[in-house]
Amino acid sequence: MSNVVRAIWDNTYGLLVDDGRLALGALGAIAVSWLIASAAPTTQESVGWLLLGLIVALVLANVYAAGVNARRRAS
Amino acid sequence: MEGALALAIAATPSFIASSVEFVEATTIVLAVGTTRGWRAPLIGTVLAVLTLAVIVAVIGVALVTVVPEHLLQLIVGTLLLLFGLRWLRKALLRFAGVVALHDEELIYQREIRELRAQGLRKSEFDWIGMTLAYKTVLLEGTEVAFIVIALGSASAAALNAAIWGAAGAGVIVIAAAALLRHPLTMVPENWMKFVVGAMLVTFGVFWATEGIGGEWPGDAVALFPIFAVVIAASWTAVRLLRAVLPHGAQVEARNV
Repeated sequence: MSNVVRAIWDNTYGLLVDDGRLALGALGAIAVSWLIASAAPTTQESVGWLLLGLIVALVLANVYAAGVNARRRAS
Repeated sequence: MEGALALAIAATPSFIASSVEFVEATTIVLAVGTTRGWRAPLIGTVLAVLTLAVIVAVIGVALVTVVPEHLLQLIVGTLLLLFGLRWLRKALLRFAGVVALHDEELIYQREIRELRAQGLRKSEFDWIGMTLAYKTVLLEGTEVAFIVIALGSASAAALNAAIWGAAGAGVIVIAAAALLRHPLTMVPENWMKFVVGAMLVTFGVFWATEGIGGEWPGDAVALFPIFAVVIAASWTAVRLLRAVLPHGAQVEARNV
């Protein structure tokens, strides 16, 4: 039974997460945007662009780190 | 017009993403069928499709009818964002040559070798072939089911559009594989993964924002500039990677 539960968990996790830092960063970006939207209701129309900016920065930082990591492994 | 846009939003990424997943599943089912006979892998495939239909029906209908709208937008937006980022990252690393491209021919030949090595007694039902086909179709199909449920969660009409998109992809890929009797190596998988990844990130940002109480000027029309920003960021990411690794690295995906 525990093997089945573990397999379901592994598959679900693998479906959503390839790189744990990227996934955690995305959750963090949503949380930050949510906090700002809750604290300052006047930001309702700009919070989406903030979230998009955070996600773009996250993707660029993540793939850059992956490139540096791959270069280190290749050399 | 807005209704047609909403349906296209559900059907298009569902069609492209499902095509990629069906191509990957078809490669394994073809390998089983050509080495061990067709009966067992076809039974495994049908059982997996039935399992997936139950998953989509139960979870999809429950989401559309039970979960409150804002919570649903937040859950679906978050899941789409995570799923889309996973595909987008992989596609960008492959475009830049950091990770090797997905090679259906290589996978097909490796599966054939492994399946032949396992042997087959003519008198027995081929449980290995059936199980492998079932597991493969179920695993690849889970991604299809996830996308269909997420994109279709906006309404019953959107769910139908997403299902039709996935079903259309299935019919085309299976028909092409049945005609060719060979893996569909000519399908530009990485491009398709990239486009779907960018689309899912776009929808993820859009819905997660609405889920946390934000608003988009122009509502669904905002999807276009969001998508443009994601594409521009992706182009920058590939340029960045090519500057870091001008000759690529072709390392294993799990090592980066």
